[in-house]
Amino acid sequence: MANTYDLIIIGGGPAGLSAAIYGGRARLKTLVINKGTIGGLVNTTREIVNYPGYTQVSGPDLMKDFHKHAQSFGVEFLKEEVVSVDLSQEEKTIKTKKGKEFSAKAVIIACGSEPRLLNIPGEKRLRGSGVAYCATCDAEFFEGEDVVVVGSGDQAIEEGMFITKFARKVTVIVLHDEGILDCNKVSAEKAFNNPKIEFVWNATIEEVLGVENVEGVKLKNLKTGSSSELTCQGVFFFVGMVPSTKYLIDTGIEIDRRGYIPVNDLMETNLEGVYAVGDNRIKYLRQVVSAAGDGATAAVAAERYIEELNVFNSNVLQSEKKVLLLFENALINESLEFGTLLEEVNSESADNYKIVKVDMATKKNLAHKYDIKTAPAVIVLEKGKEIKRLTCVLDKDKLKSQLC
Amino acid sequence: MSLQQLNSNSFEEIIYDDCESCLVIFSRKDCHVCKEVVPMLDELKPQYEGKFGFFYVDVEEDKNLFQRFSLKGVPQILFFANGEYQGKLAGKVEEETVEEKIAEVLNA
Ligand SMILES: Cc1cc2nc3c(=O)[nH]c(=O)nc-3n(C[C@H](O)[C@H](O)[C@H](O)COP(=O)(O)OP(=O)(O)OC[C@H]3O[C@@H](n4cnc5c(N)ncnc54)[C@H](O)[C@@H]3O)c2cc1C
Repeated sequence: MANTYDLIIIGGGPAGLSAAIYGGRARLKTLVINKGTIGGLVNTTREIVNYPGYTQVSGPDLMKDFHKHAQSFGVEFLKEEVVSVDLSQEEKTIKTKKGKEFSAKAVIIACGSEPRLLNIPGEKRLRGSGVAYCATCDAEFFEGEDVVVVGSGDQAIEEGMFITKFARKVTVIVLHDEGILDCNKVSAEKAFNNPKIEFVWNATIEEVLGVENVEGVKLKNLKTGSSSELTCQGVFFFVGMVPSTKYLIDTGIEIDRRGYIPVNDLMETNLEGVYAVGDNRIKYLRQVVSAAGDGATAAVAAERYIEELNVFNSNVLQSEKKVLLLFENALINESLEFGTLLEEVNSESADNYKIVKVDMATKKNLAHKYDIKTAPAVIVLEKGKEIKRLTCVLDKDKLKSQLC
Repeated sequence: MSLQQLNSNSFEEIIYDDCESCLVIFSRKDCHVCKEVVPMLDELKPQYEGKFGFFYVDVEEDKNLFQRFSLKGVPQILFFANGEYQGKLAGKVEEETVEEKIAEVLNA
């Protein structure tokens, strides 16, 4: 089938592209599905100075290099939005907004995040009429005008400084006490020394005012509770990001309250063969370099998982001999003893069967697939089909009688 | 891109002289949201061939056009019929929203 892949990566930011490089290099048939521009959030960054090997590079240029690198390993790309998934089965299926369907053995989720909306009155209505979220895109429209920036993180302060190239004045609305910004120290110092930047401390924005275009904002002082109005022609919101993982809710994948996906060291989610990387996962540092590291880890973990899957298929499902699929638990003595006995019985009857051991602790998916809850358990397979289940007793004769 | 780019002169001709029912996206090259919206319009265009026009304005090349409509950001899709402005959609809009707005303009 043309739409079947080894590995599908949802999202083409730095995390997804790094996973694609590793997946392509491992000769996995790999597809990246990405809505919008390849490179993700990094495309909105004018200047990156902390990606190793690049002293200074623009976000889009860096991502072009990532993209080219992935293409050089034969990775396929599709510009589409993924809207629904079924990841709980061994064969994962993915549907796009335009109705295309794909399946894969392993899936890496690398959807990054989008700007958080405050959902205050006027914000949505005046979007594009003075309410903005991207300084690179829109700062120029505010030539000689007064602009309000909401937020005090790296993005807010750095974008605020960029806006001063066009605007007459930029007023930054900060939640904290005077002098405290959430951004890095270098940017804070630059902002304090920028004559075009002013600050309103201990404040938040309650409403964007204006009929056709933005005419001002309503602010609330958090200390006194009093409201005030400030005249301006533009408002830029930089109040953080939310993970783009909404389409994964109720698909069986574990997601926390804020939309982040918990993973282990291998980037494995609670579903086998499904990985989450970059800004989508719960982590300490959300940057390009760490997103790239995640992508590499997940792709290697996915490669191993697929390899195991393939081995199982050829060893068990396509075996000439009948197979005894033995589910074991190393922590249960009886389970280990039973394993030994089973091997003994089999070798005494001319190795009629091929015994394949499955560790219940690591192969949860297989246990689930065959509906096995306790070890030991044995399923007899012929040409991949279950023909019976053994009663697991530590009695040689009884066991033998079941195997003839 | 299959959208025809307009400058001040061709804008005047198509919108006001020919009175074509159409949309015009105001966009710029380095805006990431535009890069999502423009291809969406590109794909939508063939369905409306002969019924509804799809055009493109680069705000860096034709500053006076966005100033004239006092636009405050890109991308913005402006709708026209019979030489009259019919409203706009701003920012990251979905395909369905554009289709609804076109239907509204065509049925008006
Ligand atoms: C203003 C700003 C400045 C920054 N500056 C720096 C910096 O200087 N250095 C640094 O290291 N980091 C910086 N960062 C952080 C960095 O951009 C992120 O950590 C990084 O982009 C995360 O990569 P990602 O691959 O996880 O996600 P993203 O880059 O967000 O990419 C996700 C991709 O997935 C796509 N997608 C989402 N949902 C779907 C779907 N349903 N179907 C298909 N595709 C989908 C998106 O369109 C996007 O292309 C900055 C962030 C911001 C906001």
